[in-house]
Amino acid sequence: MDSLSYENQIRPLMAKKCFECHNTGNTKGGVNLDNYKEIGRVIQDGKFWLKVLDQIRTRSMPPKGEPALSENDYHQLVDGINSILQSSLRQKSPGHVVIRRLSHSEYHFTIQDLLQVDFDARNYFPSDGSGGGGFDNQAKALFFTPLKLERYYDAADLIVTQAYNDADKWARVVPIVYKQNWWQRFRNWVKSLFSDEYEEVNAPELAAEKVIFPFAARAFRRFLKEDEKSKLIQMFRKVYDQKDSLEDPMRFNESIAQTFKSVLISPNFLYRAEEEPEKTGSYALGNFEVATRLSYFLWSSMPDQELFNLAYLGMLEDTVVLENQVRRMLADPKAKRFAENFSVQWLGISKLLDSEPMVDPVKYPGFDMPVRNALYRETVEYFYYVLTKSKNMLELINSNYTFLNKELADFYGIEGIAGDDFQKTILPDSTRGGVLGMGSVLATTSFPLRTSPVIRGKWVMEQLLGISPPPPPAVVAELTKDEAVHDALGLRKILEIHRSKPECMSCHQKMDPLGLGLENFDASGRWRESYGKVKVDPSGVMADGRTFQGPKELKMLLLQEKAKIARNLSSKMLSYALGRSILFTDEPALERLDTALLENNFNPEIFIIELVKSYPFRMKINDYEKKV
Amino acid sequence: MKNNWHISRRRMLKGMGACIALPLLDAMALPGINSHAGVKSPVRTAFLFMPNGVHPDRWTPDTLGNSFSLTPQLLPLENLKQDILVLGELMNKNSLFKGADGHYAKSASLLTCMPIKQTIGDNISSGGISIDQVIANEVGNQTLFPSLEYGLDRITTGVDINVGFTRLYGSSISWKSPSQPLSKEIDPRLAFDRLFRPYVPGIKIKEDPWKQSILDLVMDDAKSLKRNLGRADQDKLSEYLESIRSVEKRITNDANRAKFAANITPDITRELTRLNKNIDEYVEVYGGVDITEKTRLMMDVMALAFWSDASRVLTFMFGNSVSNRNFSFLEGVTGNHHSISHHMDKKEALDEYTRISTWHVEQYAYLLQKLKSIREGDKTLLENSMILFTSDLRDGNRHSPKNLPIILAGNGGGKIKTGQNLVFEKETPLANLYLSMLHALNIGHENFGDSTGTLSNIRA
Repeated sequence: MDSLSYENQIRPLMAKKCFECHNTGNTKGGVNLDNYKEIGRVIQDGKFWLKVLDQIRTRSMPPKGEPALSENDYHQLVDGINSILQSSLRQKSPGHVVIRRLSHSEYHFTIQDLLQVDFDARNYFPSDGSGGGGFDNQAKALFFTPLKLERYYDAADLIVTQAYNDADKWARVVPIVYKQNWWQRFRNWVKSLFSDEYEEVNAPELAAEKVIFPFAARAFRRFLKEDEKSKLIQMFRKVYDQKDSLEDPMRFNESIAQTFKSVLISPNFLYRAEEEPEKTGSYALGNFEVATRLSYFLWSSMPDQELFNLAYLGMLEDTVVLENQVRRMLADPKAKRFAENFSVQWLGISKLLDSEPMVDPVKYPGFDMPVRNALYRETVEYFYYVLTKSKNMLELINSNYTFLNKELADFYGIEGIAGDDFQKTILPDSTRGGVLGMGSVLATTSFPLRTSPVIRGKWVMEQLLGISPPPPPAVVAELTKDEAVHDALGLRKILEIHRSKPECMSCHQKMDPLGLGLENFDASGRWRESYGKVKVDPSGVMADGRTFQGPKELKMLLLQEKAKIARNLSSKMLSYALGRSILFTDEPALERLDTALLENNFNPEIFIIELVKSYPFRMKINDYEKKV
Repeated sequence: MKNNWHISRRRMLKGMGACIALPLLDAMALPGINSHAGVKSPVRTAFLFMPNGVHPDRWTPDTLGNSFSLTPQLLPLENLKQDILVLGELMNKNSLFKGADGHYAKSASLLTCMPIKQTIGDNISSGGISIDQVIANEVGNQTLFPSLEYGLDRITTGVDINVGFTRLYGSSISWKSPSQPLSKEIDPRLAFDRLFRPYVPGIKIKEDPWKQSILDLVMDDAKSLKRNLGRADQDKLSEYLESIRSVEKRITNDANRAKFAANITPDITRELTRLNKNIDEYVEVYGGVDITEKTRLMMDVMALAFWSDASRVLTFMFGNSVSNRNFSFLEGVTGNHHSISHHMDKKEALDEYTRISTWHVEQYAYLLQKLKSIREGDKTLLENSMILFTSDLRDGNRHSPKNLPIILAGNGGGKIKTGQNLVFEKETPLANLYLSMLHALNIGHENFGDSTGTLSNIRA
């Protein structure tokens, strides 16, 4: 029932009753209701509007001292807002996804798949921040600046030059060797004598089309439009004409190279755009758009030939085809890119690869760059294995195996592993299995000179269970740095004293035990029995009274939180797949994803298929703001 | 414990640099800007950001006016006392609002003086254009690069769901528009090459006669694409279009390019040749780990950029907000910056905190000394500059944006009266300082951010 109109009834009423204190110039309590000019904006910010609704419904707003709402106005607002929010959920609005610039990792892999060139995008381009779910592919946090454009330009030049200088790589994208034979040249010469506008025999443009169009179509991940084709050929001809001092095929190839450069700098390549035709309500993505979403989700790169073919045939609307494609894509080695991009960002361990110091290698010998790289690899290999082999994502929390090479095994003090390759290693028990026993996570959640059970506890809550403790008060005490005190009392005792204040207690009794259970792992992730002179006591009491002894039992307790783990995985993965934050209108989709996990033993394949079939992934809706 | 496994030979030598006045370079006046009598040298402006605040009691000198003695954290500025202004009790009021956290809300708004939007990334807004970009909009068209943005660290990744902010906010002080942070350059090699590579003797630059055509083509692509997109997409794509325009402007502005080429005097060529070698050495020998060395190289690039008039305004971030850089390479420091900044008023932590902020001031002094050693007409380059050093909060333990630790160096071409320790009325808007700087640059804005006026006693 949509009897009340937002624009004509609800908003005017709020203008009278609420805007005085909640407008752009006066945002009392940080709330600006005037800003919500369109119903689409209200729906997008539905979580916030639930709070608004609550304030009005409980008559907390308007506040005491201001005239109360009349019964009629009260019902109009409460029922009106309520029905807007409810119907937005019923209608399964897919939410708007903004045009996404390729992340540096996506750029790297796309260039690899397009030209077989391995380009270090991460260090060449100015870095990006994260948005939404904490990933680097979130549209609104991906910016473009003059400096970036310069780097994209120079990168295109380096990449095309590298491909050009490698005969094999070049032949893959330029499969023809263009040259006019003497007879063709002669005929063209004769023709040119009689007219300025003659039809050239074996014109270079015709050959160029066969090279440039397929390349650009792959790079743009769709068919080319007519005007795009003619612009590219004009570009080619311009260079070709000026390079008349060269002989074909060199002249032809160098002209192609310049045209390729323009393709690699085009916004059609650098951005994943989804066009917005004049339509109302939600509607299905185009086939090529689905192919692109799929391939960047699971391969961090452009679609391959099979996806292009299916898109061309219009078959990606078929959910059975989608299912099969997800299975095929996960089985492809390129799925490892997804394993890496998703897992390291979700777990927050990417700084292991930076040269910036982390855990102090003097206090924790052996924690050098090669080991940091190995720790990073361990997590990626493990995640990839769970994704493609074990197919039970609860093993991310607990298992009796991990992935090691000799270097990392030596670091952990595990015997019997040889070679540089990472191999699945069965551990004596389940103490270390899962991300909580990985040096990558353990070190990123430590200080340089000691562990931090608080940070580790907070990490478990936020990254595994998806719960965020409230921020600490403005003035927070750091623990003592006196090594003698640490040696004498041990970290557990020091933390106990620290959190004895009641205002700290409420949160710390939730966070600290989770971290204290991991105290046998030192700041670099290695096993230890004592902290200074005090034996490590890895026991704990959860806030709800359940007790545990050490990491093994801690993990068993965590595994009881299946609903929380499922919801966390659902929202992280959906946010990653879409490149945007989770919206209010995603709730029905998230619920289906939770169910897919809970009912299928956390099988990632079934989960991802469900995600790919969900309305936020396959549908789109036009922006509520008018185009300019 | 002293970790000296990566202290370089060159840093040991150069560590003294800040204390020893460098010999004055006998540079000729810049031909492009200074060859005619009566033509004034341009004024250069820089904003240097230090994360995590300072030891609150060892910063502001006791005596007001011009006969102050330097506090421990300001000691590296000993030889520059007459070139600096120590400014007390300025505050960035708009960094406090409901929902504001300890750090991000303060650093992203440091140069905008407007409240930022609390978001994990969907509607990023710094509240306003940053002061450096206001200046760039006025003077940027006279140089090859409208402005430069430098730093030492990559943008901090992730979102801080605890306080509801994307960490991007803590990594950006320079905002071209409220919704667009500028990318910062953090690699000395890339920073140097962008400005000076064509001028390094013996280096051959590949010609690229089609750059203009390529940029035209992609500009056209962007325009057609934009027509078929929704509103938020169009806004995003505008960033692309603006970037193309800005780069096109640079490559087509022959006058500016000729002017810049003419600015590369033999002295500048010598300096850039030296710097080019040092950067090579840094890359090879120190593998990017020696942070003092890296900072000095970035400062060398900055000084050279000002000297050659490649740009007249820049920002530099010593670290991102909440930076937890390990400073145990400093004598007497055993931990990291952010952790130590939460010192709990303990003496040992405060001592370490002091050493860390002193290190920052030392690097600042190095830059100032360098600018002072370069002559420009009848003045030094430092006299023709305004180099601001600040943090976004005073005491890291209290996260307070009141009484920010601020030093302004250089005379702004004769407009600023240095050699003073000034303490303003409590909670004087920081924006008043920025407005005064705009006026010193003859930029006649009536207000900036939350400014209420100017600081008349800093004017000469």
